[in-house]
Amino acid sequence: MHSDTLVMRAKEGDQSAQGKLMQLWYKRIYNFGYKFFMDHDLAMEVSQKTFISMCKNLPGLQDNARFKSWLYKIAVNYCREELRKKKGDRSLSFDVVWNRDAEESPKWEAGGQRIDNPESQLHKTELADILQQALSELNAEQREVVIMKEYEGLKFREIAEVLNISENTAKSRMYYGLDGLRKILDRKNINKDTIGYEL
Amino acid sequence: MSYKPNENDLMAYLYGELEGSEKEAMEKYLFEHPDARRELERLQHMRSILSEVKDKEVIAPPIFVGESKQRFLWNAPYLKTIVSIAASLLLIILAGRLSGMRIQYHSSELRISFGGDKDVKEIPVQSVQPSVASLSAEQVQSMINASLDKNNLAMQSSWKETQHQLDASITENLAQNSKKIDKLVRDASTASQDQIREFVSGMQTENLQLVKNYFKLSADEQKQYIESLLVDFSKYLQQQRNDDLQIVQTRLNSLEKNTDVFKQETEQILSSIITTVGTNNSIGTTN
Repeated sequence: MHSDTLVMRAKEGDQSAQGKLMQLWYKRIYNFGYKFFMDHDLAMEVSQKTFISMCKNLPGLQDNARFKSWLYKIAVNYCREELRKKKGDRSLSFDVVWNRDAEESPKWEAGGQRIDNPESQLHKTELADILQQALSELNAEQREVVIMKEYEGLKFREIAEVLNISENTAKSRMYYGLDGLRKILDRKNINKDTIGYEL
Repeated sequence: MSYKPNENDLMAYLYGELEGSEKEAMEKYLFEHPDARRELERLQHMRSILSEVKDKEVIAPPIFVGESKQRFLWNAPYLKTIVSIAASLLLIILAGRLSGMRIQYHSSELRISFGGDKDVKEIPVQSVQPSVASLSAEQVQSMINASLDKNNLAMQSSWKETQHQLDASITENLAQNSKKIDKLVRDASTASQDQIREFVSGMQTENLQLVKNYFKLSADEQKQYIESLLVDFSKYLQQQRNDDLQIVQTRLNSLEKNTDVFKQETEQILSSIITTVGTNNSIGTTN
């Protein structure tokens, strides 16, 4: 996805290289934050803080090959910080109270691309929401690992490096994370049979 | 040798991170153990469900990081410090130049002066010339002895003089004090018997007068007190007598009233008896 030379140039203060790195990684970090919080604003906040921190601290990166895990480490730290703030703040966002998406358009219109079967797309969108909800019900440690492994495609070694834990601990959290998700989905009556052939 | 994979191995296999002999051992184990195979299938199914959550599209906003990390020499923080120190020194030198300040250090002496040069009178420093070591030990000893003798003589003479002065002052004081005591004794002895008698009789008359006055005063006061007491007592008796008279009067009045009432009642009873007796007689006569 990125070359070492891009990281090297960015480290030397090349702003265009920094901008390119950000263009390359912004979607990944945003989606990590979104899946972690299930909240667009918080995901944007975390992403922006992560890239500001990246630009400032890039000269301190020792090994260019570890850029990916280094960037996720920054993102995870900001996610944890926001989570602490969120726990401290008991107020409810207005967007949560007033679901604009639900009022303005049906779920199947939310996706940008045109699809062959709107009913199937609606089901898939609803399922995605339920899965996202189930993810947010996991504890933060398991959630971090599940998102990094399942959606960001990091190796267990990289996850262990990001979270500063052992590889076995990362695998264990993944196992119990998947198990926990299965139980949550069972509770919501989402299983092989109910999803059916569409998967 | 029995191979039993744990949950970590299962995760590594699920995500394709198991390699070589470990992978083979796992595949063999899964082939032989349908329970483990079912568990793996459950996990794979879970993964397939999770894959339904797609990435959201987002456009990276422009992020401006304030300062460039490239530092030039004139932006170095230590250079600013050095320049500020140099500027301060330059200011101090300029102020010193304008005020004509002069600082001199010469032979253990620091001079700070403002304005033009002035002739400063040199204060001659008395240098102690070291004596030439040409004297012998005997000469030095004799010089010390002579100086000691001289000192001794001077001290003895001063002691004698002080002794004389002390003796003289003591005798003078003694003489003065004895004179004073003699005078007092003489005055006391010259006081005659008549004077004493006069003094005693004067005292007696004074005492007599004092006692008389006291008794007179106290007798008057007692008389006044007794008189007022008697007056008060007589007033009290008079008041008591009046009260008693009033009580007797009211009782007499009430007795008189009672008597009148009794008298009227008796008259009524008598008249009624008379009338009844009269009527009975008349009835008897008619019968």
